[in-house]
Parts: sequence; structure tokens; C-alpha cells
Amino acid sequence: MTTTSTTPPQTSVAASARGLTRTYGAADRAVHALRGVDLDLPAGRFTAIMGPSGSGKSTLMHCLAGLDPATSGAVTVAGRELAGLDDTALTLFRREHIGFVFQAFNLLPMLTAGQNILLPLELAGREVDRALYDQVVSVLGLTTRLGHLPSELSGGQQQRVAIARALVTRPAIVFADEPTGNLDSEASAEVLGHLRRSVRELGMTVVMVTHELDAAAYADDVVVIHDGAITAHLVEPSADVLVAALRGRNR
Amino acid sequence: MRTALLASLRHHTRRYVASGLAVVIGVAFIVVTGILTGATREGLTADVGAPVAGVDTVATVDDPQAAQRLLDEAAARDVPALGLGYAMEPVARDGVQLAASADIGEASLTPSLQWQELEEGRFPATAGEALADVNAAKRTDVGVGDVLRVGTGAAAREVEVVGMVDSPAALGASLYVPWQVLSGFDGTLWIDAVAWGGSADLAREIAPAAELEPATDWVAERQAEIARGVDVIAIMALIFVVIALVVAVLVIANTFAILFAQRQRDFALLRCVGVTRRQLRRSVRVEALLLGIVASLTGVAGGIALGFGAVALVRHWFADMGTASLPPVWLAAGFTVGVLVTVAAAWMPTRSVTRVAPLAALRPDTGVDVRSAAGRGRLTLAALALVGGVTLLVLAVLGHQVPLMLAGGTAAFIGVLLFGPVLVPALIRLVGRLPGAGPVRRLATGNAVRNPRRTATTAASLLIGVTLTTAVLTGLASSRTALDVEMDASYPLDATVTAATDPLETGLADRATALDGVDDAVTLEGTFARAADVRLPLVGVGTRPAVVRGPDDLVPRDGQLLLPIALVEELPKHLADQVYDDATLTLRVAGRPITLDTVVDDGWGRSGLVSAATLARIDPDPQPVALWVRAADGADPEDLQGDLAALAGASGAALEGGYGNRSWVDLQVDVLTGAVVSLLGIAIAISLVGIGNTLGLSVLERGRENALLRALGLTRRQLRRAMAVEGLLLAGVASLLGAALGLAFARVGVEVMVQPAVEHVVFAVPVVQVAAVVGVAALAGLAACVLPARRAARVAPAAGLALE
Repeated sequence: MTTTSTTPPQTSVAASARGLTRTYGAADRAVHALRGVDLDLPAGRFTAIMGPSGSGKSTLMHCLAGLDPATSGAVTVAGRELAGLDDTALTLFRREHIGFVFQAFNLLPMLTAGQNILLPLELAGREVDRALYDQVVSVLGLTTRLGHLPSELSGGQQQRVAIARALVTRPAIVFADEPTGNLDSEASAEVLGHLRRSVRELGMTVVMVTHELDAAAYADDVVVIHDGAITAHLVEPSADVLVAALRGRNR
Repeated sequence: MRTALLASLRHHTRRYVASGLAVVIGVAFIVVTGILTGATREGLTADVGAPVAGVDTVATVDDPQAAQRLLDEAAARDVPALGLGYAMEPVARDGVQLAASADIGEASLTPSLQWQELEEGRFPATAGEALADVNAAKRTDVGVGDVLRVGTGAAAREVEVVGMVDSPAALGASLYVPWQVLSGFDGTLWIDAVAWGGSADLAREIAPAAELEPATDWVAERQAEIARGVDVIAIMALIFVVIALVVAVLVIANTFAILFAQRQRDFALLRCVGVTRRQLRRSVRVEALLLGIVASLTGVAGGIALGFGAVALVRHWFADMGTASLPPVWLAAGFTVGVLVTVAAAWMPTRSVTRVAPLAALRPDTGVDVRSAAGRGRLTLAALALVGGVTLLVLAVLGHQVPLMLAGGTAAFIGVLLFGPVLVPALIRLVGRLPGAGPVRRLATGNAVRNPRRTATTAASLLIGVTLTTAVLTGLASSRTALDVEMDASYPLDATVTAATDPLETGLADRATALDGVDDAVTLEGTFARAADVRLPLVGVGTRPAVVRGPDDLVPRDGQLLLPIALVEELPKHLADQVYDDATLTLRVAGRPITLDTVVDDGWGRSGLVSAATLARIDPDPQPVALWVRAADGADPEDLQGDLAALAGASGAALEGGYGNRSWVDLQVDVLTGAVVSLLGIAIAISLVGIGNTLGLSVLERGRENALLRALGLTRRQLRRAMAVEGLLLAGVASLLGAALGLAFARVGVEVMVQPAVEHVVFAVPVVQVAAVVGVAALAGLAACVLPARRAARVAPAAGLALE
């Protein structure tokens, strides 16, 4: 295995993993989704995690986000060690520090766009930061859509609502799981542009799982994963470097 | 297709459990009713023939006098004959009353007509001997050798118990005395048939109107009569079975609708790979059929077990219950009804299955989005049913027409059910928006109203049970209030102890008041008068005593004498005629004659009532002669009777009063209330299974959504609470709506049914009972979502998100 790891510029770390493994199933039929991953995700940057289907990229994201417990190893998010937190503590931690954007089925169908955006704050019983809310809504171009139900929005608009929801709590880190998986190329470009703007203009940290090269091109950094292990961590790679890193395993 | 069908059944077994349970309960209900009916009928008809086994002929008469003539003549001519009937008379032992009104039957002195089963002692040989029933004697501890005084006043007779017998329910009495004694109680004696051992000609000669028939025919008729009585009860029970089954249909139909909605993609995929519309429809209908068969078999088996258990339990207290047997017709009917109900309930949902386009399988999965709403046709129908129903109800109230009321009530209720998809979500939103709502309640409210039709059907099942229960409880409470007023008028005094020969002991009122079941007691002064040779206690009443109930004060005008009818009957004929014809009575007090105006009335025991002034005029030195008692609420009538009898017995006085009758009527209303509520409880139980089921299936449907919420920061506790609140909202709104409807229907029912029968009808709302029904139903709805909530909360967010 060739590890072409370049250390990113020294900034603070939003999330990190050390010796992270995740195994599913019983011993004889165990599936090793992650095999000892070490990773630091810098704050204030847009990082893409790339890999083919079944490479473990979604599992990595779920473990980093505290949605799925690690089999062994350590995960630290916003300076907090996740191992040892019980379900409730983990949930409270998630709603304080982590934002999510999923591929599909992102919004609750019975709530309007505005209600969906404010849902995490409501669940946490937190005050709405009006200034941030207005800023997020306008950055994502949702000002005129807040009263609509998800079924009345286009796919791209739905994903923008999901992004707004992830940002409005001012989380330490936002995880986006294939956020453009269900969108056509035009809507994809729009959503990815908004994700990048939220990093640039709002100073957020975004980690995106994707298998699309075009999507990864919007990111600052790219982490490449194959068969449950990280094969590259590239800082602002050019398209050629990125393609090379993705093909690296087959070479 | 069969592979897919079997695989689907295996895969979805657990999802069918709840709807299966609804069928199981309904079928078991039918089977238990059948077994109980059979055992009751067997028990009641057994040994009906025993009293006439010794004769070939039974003479039936319309006129009790004819029966008495037959028996008198039979005794005179030494022809074997037995009166089939009884007198109702008080029974006392050693001056202490054992029963205010015991049924007294005839004990034959002819060995061939001594039909009772002797348990101890022997049969009577002379007129002064009697038989006592062992079951009746258990309470009073009567045994062989006891001397009992039967009847009142001059008609009273003393008999010695020489044997203890066991007698069947249908013709049993508490005490059996020879005809010579029984014929003396002609005031309360009722005999409509005579077991006749003589010739038919002789019977016709004595009583030309008597209808003679072979004893076997008479027995068959009696058995048929009893069986009809039992059948009426069975039919009443079946009404509740029907209600339970209607609820079961709603639960099953809802289950299938939800399951099919969730399996749309499976169905579409099957259509894609070449399954025809018809094959698909048949496949899901076979699923329903198999579910119906399995659930009905389980219900039959469960019903048999429950029925045998119930019969054994009842036999423990009620010796006349027969043995349990398997009623093939009931078993078959239960099974068939169970299968039919399941298939019928699944019919509508299966129609929608076939509308699935094969393309649905190819669309990206956006989660199950089964929004359903009320169609315009449905709303029109609802409005028609509601308006028509209300109109019929108004007409029913105006004309006191019960059939109109039933038709109107049913139509109006169906109207409400059809409005459900609009009405129920609106109410849930209203309740959900009550102040103090947090995110959990808002979430729960949103979830509860997401599928208006599903929500409405789930609520409807509970609505039926709660509406009927509330209506019945309120109707019975109003009837009870009306009855109480009637009882107050008929029985102004709960209990009276009246001196017979000597004045009452002083301090009796204090001792009576100290008794547990006594609320208040007063001693009244009076004197003893004589009317010919009848000793007649006179009680002076000045102002209305505090213990008197009802509208009548029991205060006579000056110079007036209130006489109970029983006392008038005791008087010699010329004096009784004076009372009836002239409304006066001439008495002697301390040797002086005095004539008073009489009014015949009843309710205060064996004494005449005069005003205090009249009493002072006829006896300047009155003595205590009567103790009037008001019972405490809920006092046990037997205990009160026993305690007061002990007091009365010691002073040689007679005990009477209306409390026994009052509490007997109360008990009947209580038993009726309990029976109806527990029978309706079965329907409510089925609907609660339905609520749990709807929520449980919704949990499966909302797997991704719940995972998303968990990822966004909803804690496990919050998720569980949201589910609980959803169940509570659903059950609570259904119960409140049901209670409101039930009260409205009860109001109509009271106007239509009770008003014409009883005066002074008051519409009484049993607030505590209705609140309890609503509370229990709402809390049970809460309990019904414990399992679904736990299941929902158990799923880890990542696993939920991976659900496809």
C-alpha cells in the first residue's frame, strides 16, 4: 500500500481518529469496515472523503460523527473523546457540536423549510441566533422558501435547507453524506457551491463523503479511503493528483 | 407466486400479530358466550321434571283460586297433588327475623311427591313440619330441629324444620311447608300449576278451567321456556360480540392498509417481474385468509379454555350452573365469523394494492409517503349521515320512538366516523397546541395527524367502545336517579322496628344509631289500641322525622289515622269494610272507643300513624313504640337486617323496611352496569391493540426519519416520549370525543326510553365514572405504545439511516 500523505497546513483540529476500527457481525463472518484509521480533520476547511462503494467512507463518517460506535480506537471531536459517552450524552454532544447533511430523506416531511432548519435548536431547547439564521438563510438563498413544505421544494432546494439546518447551530463540524447523490449536475454544482461558501464566508468546517470526482473538486482537502484504510490525505490537490491518488491502489 | 406468498407471510408474521389478536379476542368472545350459555341452560333445565316425576298429569290454571281449590280438594279426598308455586313471607326464629321475604314452596306429605333431594333429616309427616333448602339455610344457619315462624300477624304459623334438602334452581324455594300451612298465606301465594295424581275427570270437576296435560309435556314446555330465557341473554351478549367485531374489522382493515402501503415497492417489483394484477390481488387475499384461519383457530382454542375456566369459576359460587360442554354450532360459528371478518376487513385495502404501477419499483426510494385524505364523496356522505341521524334523533325524542333513536344514533355515529379524517386530526392539533408545548409534543402532534385516514380509523375503533360505555354508564346513572326518587316515594323508611305487645326499651335509638350500617335512628312515642281482637300499635308523628325519605312527610292530619294495607287485611271483616267503605275505623284505647278517619298507605311497618296532637288526646302518657331508621349509604342490607333484628327480637318487635328492596334495585343496576361495561371492555381492549399496532407499524415506516431525528439531536428519551405523547394524543382525543358523543346519546336515550317509564327523570352524569373511562382509555393508549416506543428508540441512528 502506498501512503502519499501530505500534512495539511497547521491549524486547529476539528475532529480526529486514532487507530479507529469498526467491525460488523460475529467473529467468523466479520466484516472489517475500518481497519485502524488515523486521521486529523482541520478546522475551517472543506474536506472530502473519497472512495469507491464499500470502501468504508460512510462508516468512517458515522464513527467520526458519533452515530456508530467504534469497535476500537479513539475518536475526538471538538476536543472531546467520544468513547465512553453513553447514548444520551452522545446525542446531546451531537446536537451541540455536529451538523449533518444526508443524501436523501433529509427533511421531515410534515415540517416547513423554516421549521426544519430550526429543528435542532428546538430539540436542544436553544435560543435561535437570529443574526446567524438570517445570514445562513440568505447565503443559501432560501429567504423566499421558508414557508414551503419539503414536497414543494426541488431536490437542490431541499439539500440547501438541510445545509442551512446543519449550519444554524454553529457546529464544530458538519458532516455531509453524499449530499449531491440524488441531484442532477446543475443542482449538484449549486449545492456544492453553497457548501464551499459556508466554509469561506461563515467559517464552518465541512466534511463531505462522496464518490464523485466532480464533487471532490469543490473541497479544499481530499482524504482517499480504500478497503477501510486511508491511502491518501491530499491538501488542495489538482485534478491529476486526485485521479492518481484514487487510481493509486490499482497501480 | 406461491414462493413469494409464503416468503412474505414468514417475513411479515410479526406485523400480523396485532390484527390476528383482534380476531382471536372476537372469536374467543363468541366461543365463551356459547359455552357459558350451554352450561347455564343445562344447569337451569336439569331436574325441572323432578316435582312432577311422581304424577302423570299437570293441571295448569290461570286463576290461583282454582289451584287452591284443587289442592284443598286433593287434601280432603286423599288424592296425591302438589302445588307448583310459592308464597313470599317473612321467616323468623326465636323472635329474630331471618328473612323479610322468603319463597315458601309446598312440601308434600305423600312420599311419591317428595321430590327434593334429602341431605339431612327426613321428610315432613305432619302439617307442623317443614323442609329447609341447604343453600338458603347457609346464610341463616337454619338446621334440623329449628322452629321457624312464617308469615305475619294472624296468618303466622310455626313449623319445625325436620329435613334439609337440595333443590334445583328452576323450582327451588328456601323453605317447604305442607299445604295445610302454605294455604294460609293466601295473600302472597301464587300457584299456576298443580302436579295432579288423581283422575282427569276429578280435576275437571273441581276446576273446570284447568288445562290438563301429560307431565312430560309440561316439563318440555318449562325447559323450552327456560332455554328461551337463556337464549335472550345469549343474544344480548351477541350484541356486544358484534360491537367487538366491528372494532376488530377497523383494526384489521387499518393493519392491512398500513402493511400494504409499506410493501408498495415489493408489490411494484413483483409486477415488474411479471406478476399479473390478478395474481397479486389473489396472493394478498390468500394472506388475509390464512391469517383469518390461524387467528380464528387460536380464538376457538382460547375461547374453549376460557369458557371452561369461567364455568368452573361460576360453579364455585353458583351451584345451579351446569357443566361445560363443547357447543359445535358455536365453535363453527366463531371460526366462520372470524375468517369472514378477517377477509372482509382486508378486502378494501387489497383493492388498492392492485393499483400499484410496476414503475413504482424503479423510482428512487424517498421513504414511505402514504398520505391519505378524506375524499369529497366521503365528506358528502358524512354530512348526509350526520344530518339524517340528528333529524331522526330529534324525531325519536319527540315521539319517544326507540327504533327511530337506534337508527338515528347509528346514522349520526357513522357520520362522525366518516368525518373522522377531518375531525380527528383537527382535534389532535387543537389539543397538541395547548400551551406548554415543547419540541417533543410538536413532533408527536405532527406525526399523529400525518395520515388523517389512518389516524381516523385508529381513533374510530376506540371511539366506538368509549362512546357506548359512556352512553350506557350515563343512561344507567340517570335511570338510577329516577329509580331512587321512585324508591324514596315507595319506601319512605329504610327500616322500622315496631313494638308488637310491649313498648320498646328505652335507649333503643342510641343503640341503633351506634350500629355500623345506620345513619340515623329516632324513637317515636305512641300507644296500643285494639280493633276487635287485633292489637294495633299507634305511632304519634308530630313533625317530619329526619329519617324519612321521599316527598311524603308521614305526618297525619289531626284526627286522621294512616293505616298500612297489611294491617287492614288483618282486621276482622266488618272493621276492614269500615275502612274501605267509610274511610273510618273505630278503635279502643285503654277501653275507650275512638273513631278516626283512615287513609290506607304504606311504608312504615305494622302500626297506625296519628298526629302528635291526636296521640296526646287519646293517650296522655305515651310510650316508645316505634324505631325508625335511615341506613347509611352503602350499608350491607343483610348486616343491617341482622343487627336490627337482634335489637327488635330482644324487645319482641317486628322489623320491616324498604332498605332491602332499595339495595336490591341498586345491586341490579350495579350488576347491569358492571356487565355492560366489562362486555364493552372487550371492544375497548381490541381497539387498544389497534392503537399499539398502528403506532408499531408507523415506527417501522418512520425508521429513517427517526434515525435522522436522532442524528440531529433527539435523545432516546425524547423519542420514546414523542411516541408516548402521540399515543396519548390519539387515545385521549378519541376518548374525549367518545365521552362527548356518549353523553349526547345518553341524553337522547334518557329522553326516549326512561322519560316515558319513570317520572321525575333527571339527566345525571356520572362524572367520576365517565372521567375514569376517559382516563383509563387514554392511559391504556399510552400503555399500548410502550412496546413500539421501545423498539423505535432501540434503533441506532446509523442503522436507521442505512434502512432501505
